[in-house]
Amino acid sequence: MPTVPTVSFTDERLATGLRLIISVDRLAPVVAVNLWYDVGSKHEIEGKTGFAHLFEHVMFQGSRNVGKAEHMALVQAAGGTMNGSTWLDRTNYYETLPSHQAELALWLEADRMGTLLDALSQENLDNQREVVKNEKRWSYDNRPYGSWYEKLQGHLFPPEHPYHHTTIGSMDDLDAASIEDVSAFFRTYYAPNNAVLSVVGDVDPDEIRRWTERYFGGIPSNPNIPKLGDLSLPPTLGGERRETVHDKVPLPRVYLGFRAPVFGDHRLDALDIASQVLAGGKGSRLHRRLVREERIAQDVALVALGFVGGASLCAGWATVRPGVPVDRVEAALHEELDRLGRELISDDELARARALIETEELAGLSRVEERADRLSMYATLFDDPDLINQMLPRYLSVGAEQIRSVAGEVLRPDNRVVLTYLPDLPPADSAVRDEDRPEEERPTEPVQAETDEEVAA
Amino acid sequence: MTASEVRVVAERPTPGTPRPYEFPDVDRSRLANGLALVVADLPGRPLVSATLVLRNGAVDEPDGDGGATVLAARTLTEGTEAHNAIELVEASERLGASLHAEAGWDAMSIGVDVPAARLEPALELLAEVVLRPTFPEAEVDRLRDERLNDLLQAEADPRRRADEAFAATIYGGGSPYHRPSGGKRETVEGLRGAQLRTAYRRGLDPSRATLVVGGDLSGIDVRGVANRLLGEWGAMFGARSSGTIVAENAVRERFVRVLHRPGSVQTEIRIGHVGAARRIPDYHALSVMAAILGGLFNSRLNTKLREEKGYTYGAGAGFDLRRGPGPFAARAAVNTEVTVPAVLDTMVELDRIRSGPVTDAELKAARDFLVGVFPLRFETAGAIVGALAGLAVHDLPDDELARYRSAIEAVTVESVLEAAVAHVRPDGAAIVLVGDADAFGSELEAAGLGRLVIERDKEPQDKGRDEGVDDGLGPVDEGTSGPTEGGSEPEGDG
Repeated sequence: MPTVPTVSFTDERLATGLRLIISVDRLAPVVAVNLWYDVGSKHEIEGKTGFAHLFEHVMFQGSRNVGKAEHMALVQAAGGTMNGSTWLDRTNYYETLPSHQAELALWLEADRMGTLLDALSQENLDNQREVVKNEKRWSYDNRPYGSWYEKLQGHLFPPEHPYHHTTIGSMDDLDAASIEDVSAFFRTYYAPNNAVLSVVGDVDPDEIRRWTERYFGGIPSNPNIPKLGDLSLPPTLGGERRETVHDKVPLPRVYLGFRAPVFGDHRLDALDIASQVLAGGKGSRLHRRLVREERIAQDVALVALGFVGGASLCAGWATVRPGVPVDRVEAALHEELDRLGRELISDDELARARALIETEELAGLSRVEERADRLSMYATLFDDPDLINQMLPRYLSVGAEQIRSVAGEVLRPDNRVVLTYLPDLPPADSAVRDEDRPEEERPTEPVQAETDEEVAA
Repeated sequence: MTASEVRVVAERPTPGTPRPYEFPDVDRSRLANGLALVVADLPGRPLVSATLVLRNGAVDEPDGDGGATVLAARTLTEGTEAHNAIELVEASERLGASLHAEAGWDAMSIGVDVPAARLEPALELLAEVVLRPTFPEAEVDRLRDERLNDLLQAEADPRRRADEAFAATIYGGGSPYHRPSGGKRETVEGLRGAQLRTAYRRGLDPSRATLVVGGDLSGIDVRGVANRLLGEWGAMFGARSSGTIVAENAVRERFVRVLHRPGSVQTEIRIGHVGAARRIPDYHALSVMAAILGGLFNSRLNTKLREEKGYTYGAGAGFDLRRGPGPFAARAAVNTEVTVPAVLDTMVELDRIRSGPVTDAELKAARDFLVGVFPLRFETAGAIVGALAGLAVHDLPDDELARYRSAIEAVTVESVLEAAVAHVRPDGAAIVLVGDADAFGSELEAAGLGRLVIERDKEPQDKGRDEGVDDGLGPVDEGTSGPTEGGSEPEGDG
């Protein structure tokens, strides 16, 4: 077994509460600067959905010493790349640069953390509102099957829970967002004591400390960041939910969704391995049976998305081949998921899953950008950046019994949502037929899933 | 807190001293049978990447076999003389390796990414699928049906419809680029093992193939392993193609083609024409020009359509540089109501880039980006191997990557303008739109952009306008997609 190299790092805080994590790697002359704010779409309230993400776009519209879109211009002219993204539990901003340009990224991030409101204008807000609405159209509304993810999230989390709505939000709420909303959001959440800054690469740690103090040190903390209420949820849905959607799609597709243990729970690690066994590539059970042997599906997938607030989401799907009864595909999916909860997987299946996860981990950690993002993530969500070194051993310690056990707990009929997409002959948009909860559906809004919302695609 | 309590530093930092960066040293040799071996030892990169490049691409197949090469590549891992598909995938997974084979327009590649300690057994699998595939008829049938289903799916996806319709519009029927690299329904339906074998054998000449291996190779005798596994490979190729690539231009004068998609909330815009091949003398000037026009975040197109107008999540333009002249396209997805203004704005920028010099600031921004981002592109063994494989595909000189940055530095305002004049032709562009023609049809007609054709067939499963195959060869095409590659392409799967 090859060993994944340990990521060594330092972990400290400025007086203002900004957490600074530095990891030196001199292999290539590159540096990753990564800033996580502990705010995501779960902090949005009713009527303000999509706001955290819209705000992320505004963060690229300039601050006291930086002009509109100049952030991108400066980073790219320095030979760097950058982006930001918003997800349920967090918002991140990151730059990857030739290492001698590290200071530029720190200065840029500090300027907007401290003085975004100096440059905020109605014109820039309106512009980015239109950009975000086009992002929503592009990523969700104008895509075949595009509504599936929003529907799954809506079914799996109750209306009063902040995971009930997606990060992209609704068109109406985006339209309603005002300058005052943006200002209040900034004052509340964009404070150094609500952020983790990770710097990874070919750097001198003392220099990074000095620059961080110089650029971020004068940004006051906010002692009054509101805490979210109790987000805990019952571990299962308590019953099956079904919905049939008619869409402009040529082939039917069956989506399954399950409520799963929170990110950080060892059972979610086991569920990740279970997903690998079920649908991770051409050797997986679902691919083998539905795609290769029975030839009833065009493709299959299963993935667990880890969230920290009450429950995670596990989603899967199979696209039905022409002429095959949809019921047959759904039944085959259920059978395989159910079997994983009853029978232990073989030693060989487990060994193969472990080997693949090890390679995946090796690939993920080979880039400074990914290392910086993971350090920020583990520090923000779990107050433990060293999880970057513990995840692989955790995955490798998962045994067959744990996989059977978590599959039995999660992939069960009374914890599942079944969405069935059927080809629609009349104009598609008006044809959603909701069998369970008609009042909550908004027919024209698709979604995509595994990805968070980024400022630039 | 109030703004007055905040102290930030107004003064912008100046960059430090750049640490020297050179593209990694590469060891090049040939085996006795002519197979080129390219090895990059990259200490500290324990995930090793290996790719065997065969120089038979979809462009080399006859029109009637359209899709055979792409399907042949997919079938390589579906069975060999020694193992069936499941045995192959399980063996590969036990090594923690991803063994994959794919083909695009330019080449077929068989690759594997694997921890260094298990490189040798992974290369054994790679050699097995390359030299002893059996193209089992049952698996061919399945993969062919999957491709046909994928063509169905593509019809519903406005992006793919736009891309395919654009290619079919700008290339004449005598050019392979007229069709999708994965083939159209009419040809895919007829594909059997025999055609796949023919397509595969077209590239099966060791003296025209290249094995690229990169990663931390300390203690590994790559040449010895390659010799053992591939040294006996004799020339058993079938008929090669002539090597001539027809890229006839079907657009005589500018015109507009609309594929009506009722109720579409966005319009997918593609504007362009037959572009350039990878091996051209002004490649570096073209790269800088394309970055300014539509590659950088602050490119002219993205600045205008996104940051000024809010019409789109991202607008861009670029050249798909292939062995033959691939397409040039400006692209954006815009909300339906602004379709015509967005098209007009795009046309203005296509005219402007060729009618006057870019500013010194624009030139500097683009050059600095392309030069500065170069080391970032090559952080992993996979990226380095991909770039080296790209050199093999396009017959580029060994020092192409080593001299890339100085060649970009040498690009001037004048050479950018020359490249724009030579390669951007708005008067001969096709404007292809997929969207709700009822919403913008009359406005479009009034705009006077040229002859207007609106196609309203609502059951568009007739023709192979769409394709399901990712034309990217993965790693092999790295370094070949040129100008916009490595940039933050404003449009992509973000």
